[in-house]
Amino acid sequence: MDLYFIVFAIMAVGAALFTITARDALPSALGLLTVFIALAALYLHLHAPLIAIFQVSIYAGAILVLVVFVIMLLITPDEELENVQKNMSYRILGAFLGAYLIALLAVGTKGVQDLVKSQALPEGFGHPSLIGSMFFKEYLLHFEVASVLLLVALVAAIYLAKKKNI
Amino acid sequence: MAGINEYIILSCILFGLGTIGFLTRRNALILFMSVELMLNSINLMLVAFSQTRADMGGQVMVLFIFAVAAAEVAVGLAILICLFKHARSVDINKFNVLKW
Repeated sequence: MDLYFIVFAIMAVGAALFTITARDALPSALGLLTVFIALAALYLHLHAPLIAIFQVSIYAGAILVLVVFVIMLLITPDEELENVQKNMSYRILGAFLGAYLIALLAVGTKGVQDLVKSQALPEGFGHPSLIGSMFFKEYLLHFEVASVLLLVALVAAIYLAKKKNI
Repeated sequence: MAGINEYIILSCILFGLGTIGFLTRRNALILFMSVELMLNSINLMLVAFSQTRADMGGQVMVLFIFAVAAAEVAVGLAILICLFKHARSVDINKFNVLKW
C-alpha cells in the first residue's frame, strides 16, 4: 500500500460520508464532487488516464453541474426538519442494512485476489489510442447503441422538463 | 503499489455508503447523488480489475457506464422536476400518488 492510494482513498471515503450525511443538498453535491476528483486521481494511478479525464469532464463537469442546477431550481427551505423524528426508525434500519451489505461484500470478496491472475502490463497500456481502436473495432455496435441511448435521453429530458406538460 | 484487494475494499465501502445514503435520506436529490456514488464505486472496481488482468475491456466498459449515467441523470432530473411541479417538494415521503 502506498501513500498515494491511502491519501485519495481516505479522501474518497470521507467525502462520501459527508455526501450522505450533509443536511442540505448543495453541500452534499460538493462532497460528491470531492469523491469524483479523488476517484479521478486513483484512475490515474491505475494506468487509466482517459478514464480520469472523462471522470473530471463528464462527472465533475457535466453531471454534477446539472445536479447543482436542479438543486438551485428546486430549493425548498421550509420542508427541512419537519418530521425527522418520525423517520428515525427508517434511518436506523437503513444504516443497519447498509452496514450489513458492506460486511457481506467484504466477506464475499475475500479470496478474489487469489483468483485473479495478475498479468504484466503490456507496453502502452491504457493509452487513449488503444481505447479508441477498441471502440471502433470490437465495440462499434455498442458505441452506436450508446449514441442512440443518449439521443433518446435528450429527447425524453426535454419532453419531461418543458413547461406545458401533459 | 496498492494491490487489487485494497481497491476491492475501497469500492465495497463506497458502494455500501451509497446504499446507506439511498436507504436513509429523504431528499430526492441526495438519493440521486447516492446512486451516482454507487455507480462510481463500480467504475473503480472495473478499472482496478482492468489493470490487474491487463485487459482494456474494463476501461471501455467504464466509458459505456459514463454514457448510461449521463442518460440516467438527464432523465432522472427531468422526472424530479416533474415531481416537484406536482408535489412542490423534493421529500420522497410526499411522492405517494402511486401508493394506492
